[in-house]
Amino acid sequence: MERGILSPADLRKPGNKIVYGIMVLGIAIMAVTMLYPILMTMFNGLKSNPEINTFPPKFFPTTWHWENFSKGWNYIALPVFLKNTVFIFLGNLFMTILVLGLAAFSISRIRVPYSRLVYFFILLTLFIPATSYMIPNFVNLKQLGLLNSYWAFWLPAGANAYYFLLMKNFFDGIHPEIFEAARIDGASELTSYLKIAVPLSVPIFATLSIFIFSTAWNDWFWPSLVMHTEDKYTLATAIYKYVINARSLDSSIKFSILFMVMVPPIFVFLGFQKFIVRSVSLTAVKG
Amino acid sequence: MEESVVTSGNRGTGPETEPQKVRRTSSWKKNMWGYLFLVPAIVIFIIFLWLPILKGIVYSFYNVDFVKGNTFVGLDNYVKIFNNPDLWLSVKNTLYFMFLTLIIGFWVPIVAAIAISELKFFQGFARIAAYLPFVVPGVVLYGMWRWMYDPVGPINALLGLFGVEPISFISDGRFSMISIVFMETWQQFGSAMLIYLAGVLSIPRDWYEAAEIDGAGVWSRIKYITLPAMRSLIVLMLILQIIGTSQAYQSQLALLDGGPNKVTLTYALFTVKYAFTQLDYGAGTALGVLMFIVLGILGVIQFKMNREDY
Repeated sequence: MERGILSPADLRKPGNKIVYGIMVLGIAIMAVTMLYPILMTMFNGLKSNPEINTFPPKFFPTTWHWENFSKGWNYIALPVFLKNTVFIFLGNLFMTILVLGLAAFSISRIRVPYSRLVYFFILLTLFIPATSYMIPNFVNLKQLGLLNSYWAFWLPAGANAYYFLLMKNFFDGIHPEIFEAARIDGASELTSYLKIAVPLSVPIFATLSIFIFSTAWNDWFWPSLVMHTEDKYTLATAIYKYVINARSLDSSIKFSILFMVMVPPIFVFLGFQKFIVRSVSLTAVKG
Repeated sequence: MEESVVTSGNRGTGPETEPQKVRRTSSWKKNMWGYLFLVPAIVIFIIFLWLPILKGIVYSFYNVDFVKGNTFVGLDNYVKIFNNPDLWLSVKNTLYFMFLTLIIGFWVPIVAAIAISELKFFQGFARIAAYLPFVVPGVVLYGMWRWMYDPVGPINALLGLFGVEPISFISDGRFSMISIVFMETWQQFGSAMLIYLAGVLSIPRDWYEAAEIDGAGVWSRIKYITLPAMRSLIVLMLILQIIGTSQAYQSQLALLDGGPNKVTLTYALFTVKYAFTQLDYGAGTALGVLMFIVLGILGVIQFKMNREDY
């Protein structure tokens, strides 16, 4: 890419130079504004409690209190909540690939009679805003006796029209000759899906994993309704109940816990940037 | 086995652009597998999506009681919510919130995307910095910004340099909603920015070259090339933002529980409180039905647009 909106000639004009300088400064201020609260969460987690409440706030800690992290780790049963969150993430991912993946494969590649009908039956749910049926959804789970169980997350994970659409579009792009060849060689459709479609679809599964991970990691409200005993809380729900709403918790410990909760998603983001940029552009098509 | 239709290379396009294909299927076995693969999804969609949606409509006419059983009450739930003055207050608050997100937040990612696309150095860094807040979990966001907005927090320290008296951004009713909008803009604009950035970078460079040769200045290039080229994307994002912000309740609930004096009681939060604080699921579902009717119209418009664009 040689040029953008501006050409090298534009930048030689003094007026444009000043505007460009202001623009660069604006971006620099934006970057600082973006990073400051994140860095402060980390440094506040390393300060002593009185130091956090000094005015004006200091950036770096004067003394580094690493013990805040071990105190934070032991303040609530983080490993239990972490385990619950990972459980929900893995189960949801499995259900997505199994239930939605098979359906997407069938509609994209097998095309049985009336599959268009099923396709619209699934897609129609995209137009119904999730908040509008949140309460009957809760009532439904209660009537099915699924409250306070992981199944209340795992089973509905198979009812996501958006993820279905992403996989269906991806399968559409795989050359059908591969499946024809497999069929001629006597492979069943299930073998085709597991041995051909799944390995070829690693990029879309990676994107879906990131979506499902971030939902499992970030969602605090819905799990707080569905799970009502402490041993079943997800990480975000537990943080909301015991850290954000805590009255007598030291700010330094609070920030150390918040920092620990923030680190995994940041690492996932930095490690999987390529997939995330793709997944962001996919959200534009989301309903 | 002979195939009558071969498809390929339409990855990334919407399902609607794909013409319906009639395929000659010669194998009963293949059809059996095809139906077998669809069954789990159909069952789960019925039980966990269509059933709640239909129950939502039905229960809006019922008094939902888990112990004594549900009783039909006709339009009582609707009469009850329409007689609750908080309904109109919550609609007003929601519209105010949507308005604030438009004037404070909507243009930011567009400007940022155009600016970042012009960076010669550190473009990758600027992208990461802008997107990073988006991966911060909601609960961390609330803890972080409660401190940022504290009367002795960093924002007041900065304003203090200009001689502004400390402001309680969150608990002062005049600033509560605006503070939530700034917090959410901080968190979310990076994701919209990346979408716009992809749009800006996909505009052919020679259009600018041609415009420059014809004597168009920098601003007219932005006004007559960049923005028109992104028009449909901007409108789509606008509709998505309206659909999203009209359902907002989590920040309002977590930071203020709808207070102070109900100034952050949005419509969705009002619904949630009916159901989970007053345990009146009938009235809660009735509110959900009303929301569905209003947002359904927007959803159809967005679908029509998606159909044209992708």
